Amino acid sequence: MENYVPFLMVAFILFAIGATGVLVRRNFFVVLMSLEIMINSAGLVFVILSYFSGTVSGQVFFIFVAAVAASETAVGLAIAVLMYRVRHTVDVTEFSMMKR
Amino acid sequence: MTSMETIIFAIVSLIAVVGALGLVFAKNPYHSALWMVFSFVGLAGLLALLQAYFLTVLQLIVYAGAIVVMIAFVMMTIDFRKVGGLSKFVPQWLWGLIISFGILIDLFILASKMKIDVSQSGKNLAIAGSNTKALGMELFTHYLFPFELVAIILLVALIGVVVLTKREIK
Repeated sequence: MENYVPFLMVAFILFAIGATGVLVRRNFFVVLMSLEIMINSAGLVFVILSYFSGTVSGQVFFIFVAAVAASETAVGLAIAVLMYRVRHTVDVTEFSMMKR
Repeated sequence: MTSMETIIFAIVSLIAVVGALGLVFAKNPYHSALWMVFSFVGLAGLLALLQAYFLTVLQLIVYAGAIVVMIAFVMMTIDFRKVGGLSKFVPQWLWGLIISFGILIDLFILASKMKIDVSQSGKNLAIAGSNTKALGMELFTHYLFPFELVAIILLVALIGVVVLTKREIK
C-alpha cells in the first residue's frame, strides 16, 4: 500500500459529514454524536499518517484523542441534561439566553 | 495496494461514510445512535487495514461500546416527545451545508497537495510482531507526561460532570 490519498479522502469526507451534522441539526444529542464523528476522523488522520511515515507516534495520539473525546462527551451530556432542566427542550435554537 | 485490500478498503470506507450520513439524516435520535455504531465499526475496519490492531479493538470497545451506550442512556432519561419530536434541521441549515462543503473542498485540496515520505510505509509499527508492544513502548518512553496529563483531564471531566448534574439537597 503506497497511496495514502484515498485514506485521507475518507477521513476528510467523514469530517465534513460530521461538520454538517453539527451545523444543521436541531437536536443537541445528534450534534454531540456528529462531534464524535469529527473527532474520530481527526484521529483517523493521525493513524493514516503514522502508518505511511512508519512511526507509532500517531497511534499514541489516537489514544489521547479518544480519551479527550470521551471526557468531552461526558461534559456535553451533562450540559444537555442541565439545559433540559432549565429550558425543558433539547433544541439548540432555544439555547439563546445570551442573545436577549 | 493489492486488489483484495482495495476491495476491503472500499467496503469499510463505504460502511463508515454511510453510517455517518445515516447519523446526520436520521429523524429519530435513537436511530442516529445506532448509525453511529455502524460508522464506528467501519472506522475500526479502516484502522485494522492500517495495521493499528490495538486501536481497532479500542475503537470497538470505547467508541462503539461505551460512548454510544452513554449517549443512549442519557437520551432515555429525557422525555421522548421532547427528544424525538423536534423537526430535523435548524432554519439556517443552508449556511451550514455551504460551510461544511467549503471545509470538504479545502481539505481535498490539502490532501492532493500533501507530500509525505512513504519510504518507511508500514514499517516500525510492531515490535516482535506485536503492535500493542510497540504502542506501549512509545507511550511509556516518549509520551509519559502527556499520558499523565490525559489522566488528569479524565479526572477533571468526572468531577465536572458530577458537580454540573448534582441537584441541590437542602
